[in-house]
Order: sequence, then C-alpha cells, then structure tokens
Amino acid sequence: MDSIRRSLLGQLARLSAGAALVPIASLASAGINDQPPRREGDSSKRYGMLIDLRQCIGCQACTVACHIENAAPLGSFRTTVSQYEVQHQESGEVATFMLPRLCNHCENPPCIPVCPVEATFQRQDGIVVVDSDRCVGCAYCVNACPYDARFINERTQTADKCTFCAHRLEAGLLPACVESCVGGARIIGDMRDPESQISRMLDEYRDELMVLQPEKNTLPQVFYLGMDERFVTRPDAEPVALEVLDPHGKEMGYEFRH
Amino acid sequence: MNSAIELLAPRYDIAWYPWAVQYFFLIALSYATLWLAAPALVFGKQRWLPTARLALLACLTTTLVAPVALLADLHQPLRFWHFYAFANSHSWMSIGSLVLPLYVAGVIVLAWLAWRPALQASRQLPGVAGLLARWLSLGDGPTPRVLVALVGLGTLALSTGIMLYTGAEVAIVKGRPLWNTVWLPPMFVATGFIAACGLILVLDRIGGRRDSIVTGQVLKVMLGACLVAGLVAGSWFLDGVNANVGSVAAAIESVRGSAEWRSTALWGGLTGVVLFGAVLYLLTRPVSRRPALYAWAWTLGLVALHVGWMFRWVVLMDVQTVARHSAGFHHYGIPAGSSGILGIVGTFGLWLAAILLVDLFLPWRQARQGGAAADISLTEPASFDVEGAPSHG
Repeated sequence: MDSIRRSLLGQLARLSAGAALVPIASLASAGINDQPPRREGDSSKRYGMLIDLRQCIGCQACTVACHIENAAPLGSFRTTVSQYEVQHQESGEVATFMLPRLCNHCENPPCIPVCPVEATFQRQDGIVVVDSDRCVGCAYCVNACPYDARFINERTQTADKCTFCAHRLEAGLLPACVESCVGGARIIGDMRDPESQISRMLDEYRDELMVLQPEKNTLPQVFYLGMDERFVTRPDAEPVALEVLDPHGKEMGYEFRH
Repeated sequence: MNSAIELLAPRYDIAWYPWAVQYFFLIALSYATLWLAAPALVFGKQRWLPTARLALLACLTTTLVAPVALLADLHQPLRFWHFYAFANSHSWMSIGSLVLPLYVAGVIVLAWLAWRPALQASRQLPGVAGLLARWLSLGDGPTPRVLVALVGLGTLALSTGIMLYTGAEVAIVKGRPLWNTVWLPPMFVATGFIAACGLILVLDRIGGRRDSIVTGQVLKVMLGACLVAGLVAGSWFLDGVNANVGSVAAAIESVRGSAEWRSTALWGGLTGVVLFGAVLYLLTRPVSRRPALYAWAWTLGLVALHVGWMFRWVVLMDVQTVARHSAGFHHYGIPAGSSGILGIVGTFGLWLAAILLVDLFLPWRQARQGGAAADISLTEPASFDVEGAPSHG
C-alpha cells in the first residue's frame, strides 16, 4: 500500500475517532439497512473502551480470561491479540506490534440492521448483544462485521460476540479482559460520565486516538492509544501461519516460513 | 516503509456455506426461466411456446428446491418461523423472507394454471399420472387464458423483488469490500440468465425435442445476457479502477496476492469470452448449416451453467476466504459432509428428482399458453402425445 494512501487513512482515522466521540442521539430511521431503535440497557450510560497499546505486552491474558469467562468454543475468540513483527526497512530494527481486537460496539454497527429477526441489537448503553434464543443462525451479521468480531458458536449454532461482559458490568465487575490485563492497557467505562477514567483519557489524548477501519463509517467505540496508522486498516503484512495439509488436503498443523 | 509479518491471528471460518451458492444458483435459474417462459405464457407469443414449456419445467423445479437450500444454510433451520414472528423491515434478508414465499406460490399457481387443461385431459390415464391428474385438475371448470397471464404478470413482478433482494443483500455488506458494489446485483441477474439459457439448451437435448427454434431463441437471449454481463463487468472495473478502496481495489489486491485468485480471474474471463464467441458463431452461421451445429448447442448449455454456478461460488465462497482485518487469505477446504460436498450433491439430487417426478407424472409438455393467443390444440406438437414415452435419446 502506498504511503499517500496510508497517511490519508491515518488522518481519516484520527478524524473519525473525533467524530465518533461526538454523541449521536440516534441514527435510527425507517429505511432499509438503517439502524433499528436501541432497546434495553441504561440510556444514561454509553460504554466504550480505550486500549493503551503502550501498555500491551501481548501476553494474551485477556484472550484466555475471556475464553474462560464466556466459554467460547475452542478456536473461536471474542477477543484476541494479533501480533506482528515489524522491521524498519532502513535500520533493520525489529519490533513486535500488538493489536488487541474485540467487538467495537460501533455507534453505527453494520451487523445490526442486517439481522432478519432483530436477534442482535444495540442496548441503549451502546453495547451490542445477541439474543441467542431468537437468533436463527443465518450468519448474515458475521459477514457484515468488518472486524471479524462475530462467529457462529458451534455449540449453540447461533451468532456469538463480545458483550463487554455486560453480565459482569451489571454486577459491578470489570469485563474479564480488563480485569486480567497485566499492564492495565484496557480501560472500560461510561463515556457519558465526565469523571470516568475513560472520559478523562479520551479528553486528554483526543488527537492521538485512532479507531479501526474508519472508512467503513461504523464509528467504532473502541479507541486505540499509541496506534500505528498502518494497522488501522487490513494490515499490509505477510501472513506466516500457514496451514500444513496432508496429501488428502486435511489440515495437520501450522508452520512458520521464517 | 516498514515490512511486517503477521505472527499471530486467529483463523476465521466462512459463515455462509455452499448451501448459499446452491440457493443463489437455483433461485437465479428460477427467475430467469420464468422470464423465458413469459413471452408465451404471459404475452401470448405462440412462437415461444416450446421454449416456455421447457422454461416452466425448469422454473417450477428450481423454485421448489431453492428454498430447501436456503433453509439448510441457517444454523437453526427449525427457527425459520422467527423470520415471520420477528420480521425486521431494516434487513434485506427479512424483506426476502416475505417476497420468497409469495414468489414460490406464484410460480406454483402459474404452473398449475398452465398445466391444468392438460391435467384435465389426462384424467383417464391409468396409474399415478391419472390419479394425480384427477386430484390436481380440481374439477372441469375452464382455465381462462387471461388468468394465466395475470398470475404470470404478478409472478414476474415478484421475481424482480427476488432479483433485487438477493443482489442487495450481498451488495450492501461493507465488511466484504469485494461484495460492496452496485454492479453485483445486475451481474447476478445477467449470469442467472446465461445459466438459465444453458439449462434450457440442456433440457431441450435431454428431453429429446432438439428443437432448433428453441435453440435459436435461447441462444439469442444468451448472447444478450453475455453482452450485459460483459458490460456490467467492464463498468464495475472502470468504475473502481482508480479508487484506493472499494470492490475493484480489493479485487486487484486479491489477484495480486494470490495465485488462486489469478487463475480464477483468468478462468472466468476466458470462459465468458469463449462462451460469447461460440454463441455468436452459432447464431451467424448460414441457415442451412444451423441444424447440424445447433445439435451441439447443449454443450454450450453446460458451459453456461458452469458460468452461472462458478460466479456464485467465487462471489459467495471465495470472497469469504479473503481476510478482511488480518493478512492474507484463510484456507477453506470443502468439507465432505452436509455443509459441503454432500449438501451440493444433495441439492442437485433433489432438483433432479423434482424434474424426473414432473416429467413422469405431469403433462408439462402440453403447458398451455396464456394471454390473448388463438386457441391451439392441447396435444400440440402432434408428435408428443400424452401417453407416449418421450424419446430421451
């Protein structure tokens, strides 16, 4: 990807992070593919997350804690930390870049209007959830999410995703990923409360924050601090986790090219 | 510029299975064959009657089987009633769930109306065919031609709803940039017509008619559909070739980054051009040479079916293997079970069974024309009588 496009996207990322912070009363309207009205949850709150990448060491404690807390099937993740080895082309210096990923609980979530039965909906506090008793498992939302934040849970055969651990928030606890983060990189809170840590940090770092894939106009509510703009969109990286297939085309494992 | 290597990222499975390809393929055959049946059934063009009879057979069978594939693509198929209990007018899929049953009902009623006079004439037949004819003909009352035309018009209107929703449902997905283009819905329709013309050529051959009028008509429609598909593909490419993001940029990135995508693009382009060239060649031969050449048109029919199916496979399956927020491509091996090969073979098997059952027990060869046409004999063409076993050679 050329550098002009990269820097454009970077500026777009910052601008969009700013735009996403402006509270939007309601994007709901009646047209096809517009957002249906939000329901349930506390309308006086708006949850969001700020991830301070400077504090992330890529230990995957969040991945494991989430997996245990939410009993996701093996191989499916509500949150995970992507890791990249980045080499400076002039100096040859090598560094590891960590990128925790989870549902962005977007202000304009593309996964919600597509649901044919309104099984997935956005609560008034901004958390995007799935009613697994209503979900028909059409997987339309899985395809609609640009962040691969959703999957079909092979046990329930319905759509599954991060809920910001809404059940823990309601009990006055922190989400499992936040609770387990050794560096304190994940900060969750009510962005409508000006005194919350997340609100103060959003104010303090407003110009440095970035969100993922801002060009999709989803207005993500997970903000990254210390982000490299080259990772805002699909990373221009070499994939090295290659499936090793047996002569019958069945997967045997992984190997690394380097 | 730095170089980066992705060390760790989960592997994301595809969310829509080959069932989706089967549904999109069969429903496209369904609406396109309906339009091929329309000149005779709805607008009373008698010259199109043999084509319409084949098209109606194809239309009814694909219409009956397509929803089965759609239902199977749900991970919770028994919850299909949620579509009606909790309909969401914001979702294209929900709109589709309302249009589809109406369309299916329209096609069934249209076929019944078109076949009813022949059913009434077959009531004295022995065996299952006679029994079915007695049940299905529902009395001796007349079947007004105008009713056939009216139901046909209504079903044609509903079929445009199917074209619109199947296309829009996929094209609005911004999360998959390759899908997110206004040129996708018209391409679905154009390739659907190509495949439907191919199906009629194949049915014409298998059914033993080998009718050169049918072949000529269908080849002309196929030529038109190929032209439209070429125009749509060209417009899609020119529309986005200079953009940094979007459908064409994503396609170029995929073709650049993967040998499989390069061969897919090459194969698709070549097949389209060869098909167009071959159809043009057949249509421009001197009249005296046409019967000999038209006898082989069914091979082009197979190519056309391949084009229609492969386009849907590439769009719906292959695009899901393009990673969208991690690097590279995800591996997808077609599983052997019902979410893979068994599902594909099973859907086609069910379809074949539907065609055979109609062929065995229903007088589809005597489908009557709708509209304001002059009355014609029910047993026309004379060589095909109700009792005689048709030649399948």
